[in-house]
Amino acid sequence: MSDNIYLPKLGRVAFIKDEVVGERAIKTFRVEAADGGDLFEHECGQCAMLSIFGRGESMISIASSPLIKEYKQFSIMKVGRVSSAFHELEVGDVIGIRGPYGNNFPIDDWRGKNLYFIGGGCGLAPIWPLITTAVAQRADFKDITVFYGGRTSRDIMYRAELEKLRESIDVHLSIDKAEEGWEGYCGFVPAAVMDKDPVPANSIAITCGPPIMIKFVIQNLNKLGFADEQIYTTIENKMKCGLGKCGRCNVGKDYVCVKGPVYSWAVLKNLPEEY
Amino acid sequence: MEKILEKKRIDDWIAALSQWEVHAPALEDGIWTYQPVKGAARLDHPNTRQSPKGLAFPQREIFFTFEQIKGEPPKLTQVLPQETRHAVFGVRPCDGRGVPRMDKVFTDHVDDTYYNTRRKNVAYVGLACNKPPSATCFCLSVGGSPVSTEGLDVQLTDLGDRYFVKAITEVGKELMTTAGSLLTDPGADDQKDVKQVHAAAVAYPQRKINDPDGAPEKLKANFNSPLWEEMARSCIGCGICTFLCPTCHCFDINDEVQSKAPLKGQRVRTWDNCQFPDFTMHSSGHNPRENTGARLRQRVNHKFQYFHENFGMHQCTGCGRCVSECPVGIDIVAVVNKVTENVG
Repeated sequence: MSDNIYLPKLGRVAFIKDEVVGERAIKTFRVEAADGGDLFEHECGQCAMLSIFGRGESMISIASSPLIKEYKQFSIMKVGRVSSAFHELEVGDVIGIRGPYGNNFPIDDWRGKNLYFIGGGCGLAPIWPLITTAVAQRADFKDITVFYGGRTSRDIMYRAELEKLRESIDVHLSIDKAEEGWEGYCGFVPAAVMDKDPVPANSIAITCGPPIMIKFVIQNLNKLGFADEQIYTTIENKMKCGLGKCGRCNVGKDYVCVKGPVYSWAVLKNLPEEY
Repeated sequence: MEKILEKKRIDDWIAALSQWEVHAPALEDGIWTYQPVKGAARLDHPNTRQSPKGLAFPQREIFFTFEQIKGEPPKLTQVLPQETRHAVFGVRPCDGRGVPRMDKVFTDHVDDTYYNTRRKNVAYVGLACNKPPSATCFCLSVGGSPVSTEGLDVQLTDLGDRYFVKAITEVGKELMTTAGSLLTDPGADDQKDVKQVHAAAVAYPQRKINDPDGAPEKLKANFNSPLWEEMARSCIGCGICTFLCPTCHCFDINDEVQSKAPLKGQRVRTWDNCQFPDFTMHSSGHNPRENTGARLRQRVNHKFQYFHENFGMHQCTGCGRCVSECPVGIDIVAVVNKVTENVG
């Protein structure tokens, strides 16, 4: 194996699914090692640098549980040059993949606790490995609750998987404005959380979504009595190398690609707001 | 190892270095740049427009090429740097001190194959500054000196008709050994002269950062200061400050396509610049450093706070290029002084 940190492995796209169609389109991809072996081991919360040769590289959260060895899952919203190229891929296409990068959620410290997951939009993808790992190891945790909201019912990703999770954990879905036939909460995610009164005792809350949502979720969690150390989030910044060298993803002295993307609010709130 | 070289014999020494590609400052169209030596080398430069950092970290380098015929997997071919040995003559102490700072970046956490392969093949033959070559020099403020040997393999000191030649590293000894009898043993007068020249160089007045040791803490305390916006108002975002800096290491990685079908192209690393708005802009359009104030703060804090917190040294080596070449007169010495004075 090459020790060249910039040389990607080849991954074969084995599965593609439209999660969300329209303006904020999200597609889910499952990527296997093109040579039939394993790509790499990863932990919940880590990212990988994906590339389409000729279009470029993008850092994307790994959205599958580390318990799944056969493939890595990525859910990608169509926004920029590389993500748009991803939306043109077909099953069988070969891409570049290097990683894993960044730190991870300290899931082992959370065994025996209640877990509250609070996601919005495509912010479900970075915490999805953690949710599915915790559900796979259900007996290790106390209550597990997922709050997840999209702008409209058409923006809800992993819909079928979320419905299936209801068999073993509490799932509360929300949309911003009322729609005919919608039975879940109507309103923003921070309010949806308050509606269910999560209990801070022996609990950890993990949130990911648009920055404005994260901000109000954390405010509300603090109001409910969650200490900053009990709140975790994951942040993103533009990245090129993934190795703390290209110089752009730093928040203060630390590069998000190395020391992040996972932060407790106790740590993050003391860092400059450059994310 | 300490030796004496008659000035007029420097070309003979360079000629003896047949195993190395030798670079030295050359004056072209009024600009000093490092060039491969053809014929005679001259070391009477003030400082070069650019530091020699490009020898280990070129402005542009190809990581690998890719090739793909439709329906087949892509074929990647690494383009690793050649193992050519380079010796660069005339490196000023500030640029010498840039070398270990670049090494920190590219060898911390994980090794950078491209940088390391080039870096291990470059030897730096420094030239002490008998007096600061530019009115914008401030090496003494950032832990350096006009006679610093940090980062160098050999140090030359100009003693008028001869150079005092001192080996700093094993590679330096190797370069000096290659010179054979061109280098002679120094006498007591030579030793006395070099001491005098060095003492005078250090005593020469320079521009001054008032509290370099307090800068990391004070910059941290001033992160939200309105001074940043104020001081950066004239910035046109050209990025010359970072492109000329001996320690700026930020880079971009892009794919270049030569042909679409069959797909042929290359992945390329180029220097990048924290003063450009799209350096940090997310694809959503959100930009964590959305104005020139935030970008000036990043450049200054990186040099005087973040790097210091990570590696225990200032990243700036006081060469003064960003001060002398800024088209709108933004002056890092004045900026650091102004911000750090802002705390009681």
